[in-house]
Amino acid sequence: MTEPAGAARWVGTALPLKEDVRLVAGRGRFIDDIGQSGQLHAAILRSPHAHARIVSIDARPAAALPGVAAVLTGAEVRRLSGPIRPLIPTTAVVSDYCLAVDRARYVGEPVAAVAAVDRGAAEDALELIRVEYDPLPAVVDPEEALQPGAPLLYPELGTNVVWHDTLTYGDVDGAMARAHGVLRERFTIQRYASTPLETFGAIAAYDPGLDAFEFWTNDQRPGLTISILSASLGVPQSRIRLSCPDIGGGFGNKRRPAYLLICALLARAAGRPVKWIEDRIENLTALMHACNGVMDVELAYQADGTLLALSVRDVADEGKNLVTPSQHNLIKLGNIANGYRIPAIRYEAWSVLTTKCPSGANRGIGKPFMCFAIERAMALLARRLGLDPAELRLRNYVTADEMPYTTPPGAQYDSGDYPATLRRALECFDYAGWRAEQARARRGGRLLGIGIATSIEPAGTNLASYELLTGRRTVSGSAEAAMVRMEPDGHVRVAVGDPSSGQGYETVIAQIVADELGLTPGAVTVARGFDSATTPWLYLSGNYSNKFSVTDVGAIVGAARQVANKLRRLAAHRLEIDPGDLELRDGAVVVRGVPDRRVTFAELARTAYADVLGLPPGEEPGLESRHAHQNPLAAPVDANRRVRSQLVFSNAAHCCLVEVHPRTGVVTLLKYLVAHDCGREMNPLIVEGMVHGSTVHGIGAALLEEFRYDQQGQFLTSTFLDYLKPTATEVPTIEVERLEHPSPFTPLGAKGVGEGGAIPGPAAVANAVEDALAAFGVTIRSLPITPERVWRWMRPGAA
Amino acid sequence: MIAPAERLSIRLTVNGRVIEREIAARRSLADFLREDLGLTGTHVGCEHGVCGACTVLVDGESARSCLLFAVQLDGATVTTIEGLTPPEGLSPIQQAFCAAHAMQCGFCTPGMIVATTELLRTNPAPSPGEIREALGGNLCMCTGYVNIVRAVAQAAAALRGGAGESS
Amino acid sequence: MKPAPFRYARPKNLADAVEILASADHDVKILAGGQSLVPMLNLRLVRPAVLIDLNGVPGLDHITPGADGGLSIGALTRHAALADSAPVIERAPLVAEAARHIGHPAIRHRGTLGGSLAHADPAAELPAALVALGAELVLHGPRGARTIQAPEFFRGLMTTALPPDEILIEIRVPPQGPGWGFAEVVRRAGDFALAGVVALVGRPPGSSERCDSARLVGFGVGDRPVRFAAAEEILTGQGGDPGAAVARAASAAAEACDPPDDVHASAEYRRHLAAVLTEEAVRQALTRLDGARPA
Repeated sequence: MTEPAGAARWVGTALPLKEDVRLVAGRGRFIDDIGQSGQLHAAILRSPHAHARIVSIDARPAAALPGVAAVLTGAEVRRLSGPIRPLIPTTAVVSDYCLAVDRARYVGEPVAAVAAVDRGAAEDALELIRVEYDPLPAVVDPEEALQPGAPLLYPELGTNVVWHDTLTYGDVDGAMARAHGVLRERFTIQRYASTPLETFGAIAAYDPGLDAFEFWTNDQRPGLTISILSASLGVPQSRIRLSCPDIGGGFGNKRRPAYLLICALLARAAGRPVKWIEDRIENLTALMHACNGVMDVELAYQADGTLLALSVRDVADEGKNLVTPSQHNLIKLGNIANGYRIPAIRYEAWSVLTTKCPSGANRGIGKPFMCFAIERAMALLARRLGLDPAELRLRNYVTADEMPYTTPPGAQYDSGDYPATLRRALECFDYAGWRAEQARARRGGRLLGIGIATSIEPAGTNLASYELLTGRRTVSGSAEAAMVRMEPDGHVRVAVGDPSSGQGYETVIAQIVADELGLTPGAVTVARGFDSATTPWLYLSGNYSNKFSVTDVGAIVGAARQVANKLRRLAAHRLEIDPGDLELRDGAVVVRGVPDRRVTFAELARTAYADVLGLPPGEEPGLESRHAHQNPLAAPVDANRRVRSQLVFSNAAHCCLVEVHPRTGVVTLLKYLVAHDCGREMNPLIVEGMVHGSTVHGIGAALLEEFRYDQQGQFLTSTFLDYLKPTATEVPTIEVERLEHPSPFTPLGAKGVGEGGAIPGPAAVANAVEDALAAFGVTIRSLPITPERVWRWMRPGAA
Repeated sequence: MIAPAERLSIRLTVNGRVIEREIAARRSLADFLREDLGLTGTHVGCEHGVCGACTVLVDGESARSCLLFAVQLDGATVTTIEGLTPPEGLSPIQQAFCAAHAMQCGFCTPGMIVATTELLRTNPAPSPGEIREALGGNLCMCTGYVNIVRAVAQAAAALRGGAGESS
Repeated sequence: MKPAPFRYARPKNLADAVEILASADHDVKILAGGQSLVPMLNLRLVRPAVLIDLNGVPGLDHITPGADGGLSIGALTRHAALADSAPVIERAPLVAEAARHIGHPAIRHRGTLGGSLAHADPAAELPAALVALGAELVLHGPRGARTIQAPEFFRGLMTTALPPDEILIEIRVPPQGPGWGFAEVVRRAGDFALAGVVALVGRPPGSSERCDSARLVGFGVGDRPVRFAAAEEILTGQGGDPGAAVARAASAAAEACDPPDDVHASAEYRRHLAAVLTEEAVRQALTRLDGARPA
């Protein structure tokens, strides 16, 4: 791509965010702040059983309650709508609807829905619905679920296994045989989720005259969702409009087309718009959990710690997820080597259904567990070999001069200096100083621990990788669409098919376009959220996978440059000069070197929109461009089953210091530092905020958060009293050091930053606690690290 | 003696305006503010009093509006984020939050501003530890709290130094 | 989550409150601070036909120093008031300390002492503090007022001796000695404790040896506040090395517990914490007796 028309003045500056001004005054507009005239409110009846046949539903008493306008059950849903089309079409093809039809398969699964004058009345009506269940055996452990004879969620499939495959790259067995040693370890991860503070919600309205639906929602994948809605409702996409307002946090959680379908069907039945806002119980119980699972890791090494091979057996517990199963497996495979040079890799994937909440693309999508397993294995290997954990890593990192480097499964690391990142972290953390302090403290009976974890952090997902599951390609690549429009008054409006959920798009996009057009960010208005009627969008559009820098930016820059080029052509015609002699500066097109010879944007816009006879021959009216950008790194799966499932790679090194209370096991985080390299930082304020927030997600997973079920599949952690989120008193200041190795493969050299610390955070904390407990010979294999678990590890005879 | 009733009339002051309404007993103050009065700056995040998104000032003290019924507020004074925002511009606390980028999605922010307002009225020079403790009842899922703590310290300094002018 | 419908009353005096209570056929809940009750209403875990809001009854929100050196505290006194009150800090610092550990400022502005006692969560701090202090509770009902001692008030899990037709209106706290300690383990600041212990300890003047009085009460370690009587006897009894008495008392405290198993901790861990926290609370109390401030 050619250089921007204007000087790069705004990209890279820590510009305070435009959207913060309205958010700090409570002037955001979130889904529950929006209403449609005459709207009803929905409530959802949910299964109390983990697994049960639905024998009968009698909703007539509910329908008869004053204030109730419509009631929906599974039988009606099957009659009135088509099955939900999965994003990842696995070989397991079963029909899934927005309400349970014959069976409920997890506690909290929607079974019926009511629309009434207000939410309280709707909930009153739910209590009158009589459902007869015939309970079936639950299956809550994924390793039990994959055994023959396990209770089956879908008897017609004959199995709970949605995907089982082994992918081998290189001579793994040979490397294991030759190795000086093989470290073998089993790790488990719990269910948790980022739980944005705003819950999920939607409003649906049906126009019977047009046979058209309109939706308002905080769904993060509008392109995918519109596709599912259209197919299920039997209405073409051109008669569906979907818009997103401000979104109060997403982290991959806000995606459940089933809820929009429920609202749509109720709205059509009731003849009035229907609004549904998820409450917190529903959110924790039934929206989505990151997969829990078990990973068996074998790491073959030479005597000096050089890695030879990695073999992983990974069992991912998907709950009842038929829309995006196996997504965690694929992402783990794509990131399996972390930042290391490992010549031979084998990955055996199990993706297993259980009678629990559906899994979903929670921040990191499987990478936190993958990184936990690898970084824990590295810590254990260092201990085994008597090497400093930093030294072991430095011996095995892919180095800057090997970039771009392709891992055996096909991931291409584009740029970065992993050794420099780790060294910077250790230096700024004062690793040596704290090691000395740790020894002093130990003599005084205090247990301090230092943990290191490093990771790659990819951006963008190439959906062609799904071909590894099914052997055929239906979706692929990574792309986004954007529109840049200079209005008749010379002000600029931008829209992109990716609705922000707190990433500051309104500001950073304004910075990008300001640079392209020689304006200030104040002259650029970025549309809030998303509107399918006016925002350009693709099936692939949305807010996921850290894709902003690898796709959105390209679309925005492309559209902006088209507008810039047109401005130059219009000005060239006006000034009778070659467009190559013109530059865009301060809201005008100016002859380079002759500042007095200029035409303002407002003047050119007047020509383009109003005084169109003044346009050059062959030039059409208007100053609006749409551009869709697909990242050129995405490619299909090759004959050896290798694929770039994610596209460009940031990297980070985390160091943390913990203290463990020797009698209670309480863990206190004393210091936490992140050295982070996300390539070109378009707005350092946004980047730093992402590093802070994502790291605290990692800390939460490490120490506090766990969704729990009992053996009957009953959900035990359905409120914030039982599912514990970090508060300001649990986390220290996250110190951030930055490095910057731009990507050669993105338009501005920026990489991803959103998932960040959620990936290595759990490993860093676990490594620190294990270090604190070194005298006890503890090996930490699972999370969260609760005080009780620490106490048990410290007891005599526990190791 | 008045018999228990399912609907009651209340008269209260919200952000300086006197409001008279007849409402259902079970309507929470949060829903009343948001839906009946259109004051949507107060947010609902859990409805069991843990997350703090719904925090407002009742008779000058912070309270969870999801754990109050509007009918309880007869005769009371309520201040929401809208009442803490000047007619023009932003308050010093709000300016500090913007300067420090102490938010991302903005959903927790009104509750944080209310909690911060109360903290700085009673403790004009809080330490970072005191700030964290005072805000410990307000969950944020986005920022990791780092910039929020910075913003509160900066706001405290601004209020101590500048006697509260807004721009 | 919206509550089931209910009728609401805000009586202007105690007599009216008692009358509504009696007439509502026991299907009533009393609303004080609401910080525990309203979540249960929102979750539809309780569905009373009538909610009586006590916040309009005057005279229930007071902290009155007594001539005996103790305190009389109205049941509607807010946790924040207890934590900040000079008379409470001076005469019953254990109560102020307990109140300081409850939730967060917004919770403490509304939550009440009476509400905490009537709710009787076994992991709550104030019930244990009042049992240790030997407080007296004043109940008011159709037959007038009567008193009950704090230990008899707590009958079981979230269950008290408060009958459906009576209201807790006042708590009388005897004067508290200077030897007090408070220790708890929480997952996060302000949470309900996994386990906690309050200690009140007395020693003859000028003696650095055996205590002559001890009250040790655990919370979060049973279905109600648990008095560690055997541990108290070890601290005050004759024989054995006084220095080792604290450790032995701690073991006895652990044995006296029958803690719950739940998502946050096992019974075994809670029992262990009871021992650790008994030691901690007793050491704090002894430090305060020495006129020093605990670390």
